[in-house]
Amino acid sequence: MTETSRALSPATGHAGTALMAMAGPWLEAMDQSGVAIAVTDPGLADEPIVYVNGAFEALTGFAAAQALGRPSNFLQTAATDPDAVLAIGAALAQGGSARADILNQRRDGETFWNRMSVVTIRDTKGLPAFRLTTLTDVSHEYAGDVTAQELRISRRDLIEARERLRVVQAVAGAAGGWEWDIASNRFFADARFASIYGLDVLAAAAGLPATAFFEPIHAEDRMRVRIAVGGALHGAEVFARDYRIVTEGEVRWVSARGRTFLDAQDRPVKFAGVLADITGQKKIEERLHIAQTAGGVGSFEYLSGYGTAEVSEQFCRLLGFRPAQSLPVRTINSVVHPDDPAIIQNRDGAIGSGQAFHECRITRADTGEARWLASRGEYRRELSGGMTFTGVIYDITQTKNSEAKLRQLTERLEERVEARTQERDRIWNLSRDLLNVIGPDGTQRTVNPAWTALLGHSEAELVGMPMASLVHAEDLPLLRLRLAALLRGETVPDFDIRLRAKDGGYHWVSWKAVPEGEAIYGIGRDVTQRKLLEDQLRQSQKMEAVGQLTGGLAHDFNNMLTGILGGMDMVRRRVSQGRLDDVDRFLDAAMQSGQRAAALTHRLLAFSRRQTLDNRPLDITALVGSIADLLRRTLGEQVELVVDMDPELWSAVADDNQLESALLNLAINARDAMPEGGRLTISGRNAKLSASDLAHSDRAEAGDYVEIGVADTGLGMAPEVLAKAFDPFYTTKPLGQGTGLGLSMIYGFVQQSRGNVLIESQEGQGTTIRLFLPRHAGALTDAAKPASIDASLGQGEVVLVIEDDPAVRLLVLQVLEELGYQAIETADGREAIPILQSQQQIDLLVSDVGLPGLNGRQLAELARETRPTLPVLFMTGYAKEAIDQARFLTAGMEIITKPFAVDELGHRINMILRQNK
Amino acid sequence: MIAHVIPLEDLERDALTELVNIGMSRAASSLRKMVGEQVLLSVPALEVVTRGGAATLIRERESGQVVAVRQDFEGIFSGRALLIFPEANSLALVRAVTGGAISAEDAAELEDEALAETGNVVLNSCLATMANMLQQSLTMSLPEVIRSDGSSLFDLVENGVEEGVVLFLYINFAINDRNIRGYIAMLMDLPSLEALRLLIADFIRRVVGDET
Repeated sequence: MTETSRALSPATGHAGTALMAMAGPWLEAMDQSGVAIAVTDPGLADEPIVYVNGAFEALTGFAAAQALGRPSNFLQTAATDPDAVLAIGAALAQGGSARADILNQRRDGETFWNRMSVVTIRDTKGLPAFRLTTLTDVSHEYAGDVTAQELRISRRDLIEARERLRVVQAVAGAAGGWEWDIASNRFFADARFASIYGLDVLAAAAGLPATAFFEPIHAEDRMRVRIAVGGALHGAEVFARDYRIVTEGEVRWVSARGRTFLDAQDRPVKFAGVLADITGQKKIEERLHIAQTAGGVGSFEYLSGYGTAEVSEQFCRLLGFRPAQSLPVRTINSVVHPDDPAIIQNRDGAIGSGQAFHECRITRADTGEARWLASRGEYRRELSGGMTFTGVIYDITQTKNSEAKLRQLTERLEERVEARTQERDRIWNLSRDLLNVIGPDGTQRTVNPAWTALLGHSEAELVGMPMASLVHAEDLPLLRLRLAALLRGETVPDFDIRLRAKDGGYHWVSWKAVPEGEAIYGIGRDVTQRKLLEDQLRQSQKMEAVGQLTGGLAHDFNNMLTGILGGMDMVRRRVSQGRLDDVDRFLDAAMQSGQRAAALTHRLLAFSRRQTLDNRPLDITALVGSIADLLRRTLGEQVELVVDMDPELWSAVADDNQLESALLNLAINARDAMPEGGRLTISGRNAKLSASDLAHSDRAEAGDYVEIGVADTGLGMAPEVLAKAFDPFYTTKPLGQGTGLGLSMIYGFVQQSRGNVLIESQEGQGTTIRLFLPRHAGALTDAAKPASIDASLGQGEVVLVIEDDPAVRLLVLQVLEELGYQAIETADGREAIPILQSQQQIDLLVSDVGLPGLNGRQLAELARETRPTLPVLFMTGYAKEAIDQARFLTAGMEIITKPFAVDELGHRINMILRQNK
Repeated sequence: MIAHVIPLEDLERDALTELVNIGMSRAASSLRKMVGEQVLLSVPALEVVTRGGAATLIRERESGQVVAVRQDFEGIFSGRALLIFPEANSLALVRAVTGGAISAEDAAELEDEALAETGNVVLNSCLATMANMLQQSLTMSLPEVIRSDGSSLFDLVENGVEEGVVLFLYINFAINDRNIRGYIAMLMDLPSLEALRLLIADFIRRVVGDET
C-alpha cells in the first residue's frame, strides 16, 4: 500500500481536524504533490507544524510523525542568516506571504538551500488559520560556496545510501507498493517500489502515467505484464506475475502480486499491489529446480491442520500426478501402499518433531507402476502456531530392487552353503574311508568317525597324534617320503601303508593325499581285504607258474633222464654180456642227454637271474669281432652279417661268456626269422639313459650305457607275440624245437647285469633287439688269461674235499686220485673243522658252497684263520651268495660251476696248485 | 497426457487466461455478494489437456465425491463452465447463500435447487463478462447439478471425444470463515481456432491499447 495519506497526527489536535475541514480534497492533492509542503498553525505559539506531505519527508529526512508539532523554524541552524529569518517574519506580518532562500538543515545534519514560499490561509473571518509553506532545494544555485561543496558530497552519500537501501531491500525481499487509479490511469508508488523500478522517488509518489510502469520491464516480458495488467484493470481480481526489469543495464527479477478493487457496481476502481525483488530468490529457485529435477527430488511443505500440502513439480512427477503446486494430503497418501507409512503423516495434529525418515511403496497414479520412495523431512514449530512438515521424496526403487536381489542372493547363498556344509558333514561322518587333515608338524588336526570304526582308536586319541605313530615300521620310510613331498606342496601318487588298530592288528590303507595351504588332506581306504586277495592271487599265480615250470621241466628232464638212464642200462647189459663194441654209442647218448640237462638247468638259472656271473670290464667291439666267424657259420650263406661298431665305444661291464651266448642266441633267432635270407646287423654305440628310459628295468640306474643292437630284416613279430616275447617257455617254434627260454634268458642275464633290453618289431619289418649294458668306469685292464697248462700228474699234494653229495664226492675223489693227489674226504663242516685246525698238511680246499651247517664260504673263512694262504676252490650248482663271483671271492679263491666235466675239474685243480708253487 | 497441439502463442494463452480471469473474478464477486463473505481466489491456471486429463486433474485434488453445477455455453467458442466443490461443503454452501435463514432440514431439501441457482448466478456472470469482453454473444444452457467422483464432469460434452484436446482453466476459491472451498472451472472446445485468435488479438488490443 502506498503511504500517500499523511494521516493527521492526534498530536495536532483540533488544528488537524480543522485543516481537514478546510482543505478537504486539497489535502489529497498535496499528499501526492512532488513539491515538499508543510502546513503550520499560526494560532499557536511557535507556529507548530500540523501537516507535511511525502515530498517534505523525502526532502528533509524527517518522517511526518517526527515533524508534526515541531516549531515552524525547526529546520534552521546556527548558520542560518538571522536577517533572512527576520525578513520573512516581517513579510508575513505585513502581507501574509513571503519568499526567501534560507540555509536549512536536514535530519542527517546536511545543510541545503531552501527556497521557501509561505502563504497564509485565512478562515471565513479573515483571520490566519494556517500557513502553507512549500520547500525547494536550490543548493545548486549556491554552488561554489562551502554548502555547494557539501551538497555534492551529500549527493554522493545519498546515492550510496540509496544503493545500500536497494541492496538491503533486495536481500530482505522488502516489498514496494503501488496503487493504480483506474479512472485517471496513473499509478502511485512508494520509495521502495521506486527504488526497485529505478524511478524518481518524488515523481513516483506524485503519480506517474501507466507507461512508467511498463517501461523498465524487460522487452520479452513486457507484453505479458501488459496483458495481465490489462486484465486487472478490466476486473480480473487476481494479478500475479514474475518478470524482469532492466534498470541501469542490470536485469532483475521482480515478483508482482496485486488485486483489483471493485466498486459497488463491480466496476474496477483501484488496482493495488506489492512488488518484491526476487533476483536472488530466482537464482536459488533455479538452482533448486535444477537440483531437484536432476536429482529426481520432489519437495513438499505441509502445515499441520491443512488438507493440502505445497508440492513441487518433481514431487507430482514422482507420484505420477499432473504437476501442481498443491495437492490434498489424502490424494498424496492414497498412492502409498496400505501397509507402509504415509508420505505426509500427522494429519490429525498428532504431529511428530525433529527429523523424519521413512520408506514406502507407492502405486503411481498414472501408470499404476509400483515404486519405492524415500521421504526425508523435518518438523518445525511455526511462530503462528501449528507445525510445518517440510521434506523431500526421491525414488529408491532401484536401490530397493538391488537390495532385495542382494538379500535374495545372500539368502540363497546361505542356504547353499548350509546345504553344502550339511552334505560335507554327512560325507565326513558317513564315509567309510578314513578322512584326515594333517598339519605342517605331521600331527593330525582332525579325523572322521571312520577312523574309530576301522581302527578302534577314539577321535581324542587320534587328533594331535602324528600319523607316523600308527604306521607299520616297514612302511614308515614310504610315509615319511610322501609326507615330506606333500609338505613341499608336491602331488604324490597314491600309496599303501599299514595302520595299527587298537587291538594290535594291522590294516592296509591306500592313501590319496593332496597338499592345500599348509595342511595335507588325506583319504584312506581300507584295502586289507584286497591285499589279502592280491596275496592269494599272487600265490596261486606263482603256484600255477611253478606248476607249469615244473611240469615242463619234468617233461624235459624225464626225456633226458630216459636218455641217461637208458644209456647207462644198455651199457651195463652190454658189459655183462661182454658186448663192448657198441657201448660207446649208448655212453655218448647218455652224455648228450646229461649235457642237455646241464644246459637246461643253466638256462633256468639264467632266466631266474641266479646264474653265477663273472662280471668284468669288456671291450664289446673285440668281443663281437671274436665271435663274428662263429656267427657267420651259424647264420649260413643266405644271411649277411654286418658289424657296425662305434669306434669310440665305451667299455662295458658284463660276463663275457653270457654275452657271447646271448648274441649267439639272438643270431639264431634272427636266422630263423629270415627263412628267405636277409641281413643281420650288430651295432654298438654309446647311450645315456634317463630314469624314464629305464622305467621297465629292475635294477638299472640312469647313466651311461653301451648299446648293442641286433637287427634283422626278417618277418618281425605281431604285437601279441611281441608282448610275450620275454615270457619264459613262450616260443613260436614247433613243439620240441625250442625251449622258449631263449629271450627270457637274455632278459634275465641283462637285468642281472644291471642293464636293460628293448625289443622293437613290426610284422614284415624285421626285429631289432637292443641290449644296454652298464658302462665301465675306468680303464680296461687287460686281465691276461692264464696260459693253458697241460693236465699233468700231481705230486701227492693234500686236498681236503668237503662235499655232502656222495656221488659228487666219489667223482671228485676219483679225479684227485687219478691226478696223483691225496684226498681227505669230508661230508660237511663238522667233519672238516678238526682237520682244518689240526697240523695236517693241506694244500687245497675243495668245497661245495651249499652245505648243511656252515656253508663253504664260512668254512673257507675259518680255514683262512689258521691257514691264511690256503687256496680254495668252490664247487657250486647254485648258491645265492655266489651269484656275483667278484663279491663272493677273495684272493686265492676260485669257483667251478656244476655240472662240470671231469677233465675241467682236474684242469682247475692242477692250475691252482701249480700257481701256488 | 499434455499434448501441445493447440498452436497458441504464449501471449495468446496469457490473454485467454486473463479473459477467464476477468470472468471468474466477476463470478467470485457474485458469490461474494450471495454469501456476504470475502471470497478468496487463487491465481488462475490454464492447461491444454484431454478431457480425461481434466477429469484426472480434479480427481487428483479431490479424493472424495464432488458436487458441481455446470452450465454449457455455445457461440464463437463452446464449452462448459463448472462450479465445483467437495460434496462435504455442499450444505455449508447452501446455508451460506441462504444466509443461515433456513434450517438444516430445509437446506437439505432445497440443496440442489439452491446449488443450481447459485451456480447459475456465479457462472452466468462469468460467461456474460467474458462474452462482453469479447464483444460476442454466447448461448447458455440451464444449470445442472452433478454429483460425481470427478471423472464424469467433463465427459458429457456433446460430440465429446475423450481424446479430444481442450483448454482447461480453473481457479481455486475459498470462502473466508466458512471452510468452504472449490473451483470455478471452464472447459473450452476450440471449433475455430482462427476465430478465437482474432478475438484474442482484438482483446489484447483493447486491454493493452488503453495504455499505449
